[in-house]
Amino acid sequence: MSTVSAPRVRTPLIGGGHCATPNDGVRTTNAHEGTTPTGERVITVALAGQPNVGKSTVFNMLTGLSQHVGNWPGKTIEQKTGTYRYNGTSVQLVDLPGTYSLTANSPEEQIARDFIIKEHPDVVIAIVNAATLERSLYLLSELVWLPVPVVLGLNMVDVAEREGYRVESHVLEAALGLPVVPIIATRNQGIRELVEAVDALVRDPLRYAPRRPEIREDHRAVLDEIELLIAGYVPPPYPSDWVALKLLEGDVEITRLIQTHLPSERWEQVHNILRQHEDAILAVAGGRYEWIGRMMRAAVEQPRVGQVTLTDRLDRVATHPFLGLLVLTGILALVFWLTYTIATPMQSWLDAYVVQGGAELVRQMLSGAPPWIVGLLADGVIGGAGTVITFLPILVIFFAILGLLEDVGYMARAAYVMDRFMHAMGLHGKSFLPLFLGFGCNVPAVAGARIIDSPRARLLTIQLAPLVPCTARMAVVAFLTPAFFGRGAALVAWGLVLLNLIILALVGIVANRLAFRGTHAAFIMELPLYHIPNRRTIGMFVWQNTTAFLRKAGSIILVVSVIVWALSAFPGPGLENSVIGQLGQLMKPVGQLMGLDWQPMVALVTSFVAKENAIATLGVLYGEGEEAAGLGETMAASVPPAAALAFLAVTMLFIPCAATLATIRQETGGWRWAVFNVGLLLAISFGVGILIYQSAALIGWGV
Amino acid sequence: MLDRLLGILRAGGIHTPDRLASQLGVSEQLVDQMLADLSRMGYLRSISSATCHALPDGETGACADCALAGTCSVGEPDGNVWALTQKAFR
Repeated sequence: MSTVSAPRVRTPLIGGGHCATPNDGVRTTNAHEGTTPTGERVITVALAGQPNVGKSTVFNMLTGLSQHVGNWPGKTIEQKTGTYRYNGTSVQLVDLPGTYSLTANSPEEQIARDFIIKEHPDVVIAIVNAATLERSLYLLSELVWLPVPVVLGLNMVDVAEREGYRVESHVLEAALGLPVVPIIATRNQGIRELVEAVDALVRDPLRYAPRRPEIREDHRAVLDEIELLIAGYVPPPYPSDWVALKLLEGDVEITRLIQTHLPSERWEQVHNILRQHEDAILAVAGGRYEWIGRMMRAAVEQPRVGQVTLTDRLDRVATHPFLGLLVLTGILALVFWLTYTIATPMQSWLDAYVVQGGAELVRQMLSGAPPWIVGLLADGVIGGAGTVITFLPILVIFFAILGLLEDVGYMARAAYVMDRFMHAMGLHGKSFLPLFLGFGCNVPAVAGARIIDSPRARLLTIQLAPLVPCTARMAVVAFLTPAFFGRGAALVAWGLVLLNLIILALVGIVANRLAFRGTHAAFIMELPLYHIPNRRTIGMFVWQNTTAFLRKAGSIILVVSVIVWALSAFPGPGLENSVIGQLGQLMKPVGQLMGLDWQPMVALVTSFVAKENAIATLGVLYGEGEEAAGLGETMAASVPPAAALAFLAVTMLFIPCAATLATIRQETGGWRWAVFNVGLLLAISFGVGILIYQSAALIGWGV
Repeated sequence: MLDRLLGILRAGGIHTPDRLASQLGVSEQLVDQMLADLSRMGYLRSISSATCHALPDGETGACADCALAGTCSVGEPDGNVWALTQKAFR
C-alpha cells in the first residue's frame, strides 16, 4: 500500500457559476464508503482516460506495489486495482479500461460505463493529455453526465508546452466547474495535488458543479419530453436525465432497458418520438463538440501556425489542383524513363542469350528428334513463355519504383489529385476510388464499384474500370515500346497511359451526364506523412510481385504458349495453313485498317486469357523461322511505326482479361453487361487504333 | 461543429482530415474523433473493406491478383478512406 503524505496547501476552491444541470444526482455518500477496523475511512476512486494519456503511470505512481491484477468479471479484459492512503483515508483505486468515449460500442466502454454507474465510486479521476486536449475532452464530456464527481488530471503539460500549447488550468477549472490539476506523471509532478483534490472533493462534494454539454437547442424540447415520459420508470442506479440523452443517442442497451421498464403505451410514445428524431444523435454529439470548442477557446492558447513540416511543404505542390497533376504526369514519365533506361538493355541481353541462345541450344541438342518436339520446345516453350520471362528486369524496375512511391507516401497523393481532376472533368468522385484500384488490377476495380450506392452509377463505373491500364498491360507496353520506338519509348508509353485516361474521362463525362446528373459525393482520405522508404518493404514488394509473375509465366502463360504453338504448327504445312493462321486470316481485314498483319491480331485474342500472353504469342508467331533475331528486332522490322502505335493503343484499350470479365459477370448478376463491355471496348480499342493509323497515313508518317 | 463538418462533406469533393481541421478551426485529432463518431452513427462508412475485400472468395478477396495489393493504402482492412452514406443526405 502506497502512502501519500499530508498536503500542505488545500486545493483551491472550484469556480461555481451556472451549469446545465448542477449537481444532479451526485451522491454525497457511497456504497463502498466505510471504515476499516482501525477506524480508517475507505473510499473508491476510478481512474478513467483514453488510451496513451499516461493513465497507467498515474496508477503506478499512486498504488506502488499494492496492485492486484485480474480480469473484469465475465471479460478477458485486464482489471487493475490498488490502494493508497491519504489524510486518514484508505483509497481503493480502480483502473478503468482506456476508452475514447462511453458509448458502449466496445467491451472496454461498457465496463467503464457500468462501473461508474453501478459501482458508483466516490470520485472519478479523468486523466487527459494536455497536448491532445481537444480530443481527450470528449471522454470528459460524457463523464460529467454521470452521477459521480470528476477530478481532471491534466497530464503531459510539459509536452503540451513544448508543442506550443498553453493550457490555463485555473481558467479550464472555472470553465468546466470541476477541479483541474496539472500533472507530469512520468516525473511524479502534481500527483500529490491530484490526491488532495480527490480528498477535498470527497469531503465536500457539494463543491462539484460541472458545466455539462447541452444538446443542440433545436432538440432540447424533445429531450425534456422524453425525460418527462420516462420519469419514475428509470430503474436505479441509472440517472434519468442521462437515460433520456442515451435514448436520443440510440444507445441499444439503454433503449432495451427502458423498453422493459416502461408500460407498453408509454414506450410506444417514446418510441414514436425517437423514430421522428433519428437525427437527434447528431444534436447530442454536436452539443459535446460545441462544449469542447468552448472549453478550448476559454482555456487553451493554441500554437502559432508557423512550423511548417516537410509533408506540408511537399503537399503544397503534390496536392495542388494543377501543380499536383503536373507532378503526377512527371512522375509517370520518370517511371517509364527509368524503366527503359535501366531495364531495356538487360531485357535485350536476356532475349539474345537466354531466349535465342536457349532455342538454338535446344535445336542443336535435339537435332535427331521429330521436328514437332523441337518446334514445341524451341518455339512454343522458349519462344513463348521464355520471351515473357525476359520481362523480369522491366518488372523488377517498374515494381521497385511503384513500391518506392507507395512507401514514401506519394500514391495516396496521386489518388487525391486524380479525384480532383476527375471532379473537374465532371466525373463522379465515388467512381474514382474503384477506378484508381484498376491501375493495380482491373478485378478489384470492378469489385470496388460496390461502394457506389446507385445501381446505375455502379454499372457505369464497372463499364469504365477496364479502361484503366493495369500493371499487366503496362508491362506489355513496357516490353514493346522500346522495340518499336527506341529512344522515344518513354514518351510513347507515357502518351499511351494519358490516352487511356483521356478516353476514360470522355466516356466518364458521358456516363456522368447519363447516370449521376450532377450529384456530389464526398471522400475523406488520410494522407500519410512522407517518410524515408524502407528497403526491406520495397524489396518484399518487388519479390512478391515478380514471384507471382513467374508463377503465372510457369503456368497459364506456358500453357497458352504451347496451345498457340500447336495451333500455329498444325495442320500445316507452314504458318499460313495452321489453325491460327486461318483465324488470323479472318481477322486480317480489321488488322489491315490499322496497318497490322494477322499475327498481332492473334496476339490480341490470346491476351484475353492474360494480358502478358500477347508477348508470348508474338514470341511464338514471330519466332517461327527467325532464329537469329530477338522478338523486338523482328517485330520492329515487320511492323511500321504507325501500325505499331495503333497496335499498342489497341493493347491498352482492348477487352478485359478473363478474370475481369468473370468479375463483371458476378457484380452485374449475369453475362449481359459483361458482353456489353466486351463490345464497348472492342469498339473503342479498334476505333482508336484505326483512327491512329489512318491519321498517320493521311499525313504520311510511319506507314 | 458536427453539423458544419457534415455540411462540408455533403457539398462533395475529396477532403483530408488536416484540411477539414483548418476549415473547422479545430485540431486534426478532433476531426478524427468526429469522423469516427459519424461513422458509428452511420453517416460515413469506411470504404476499404467494400473495395479490396469485396469478393466473398476468401480473405484476399478481389485484390488477390493485384500487383499493388501489398502496399495499397486503400486496400488496408482498416484503411483510412471514408465516404458519405445515403443517411447523410436524408
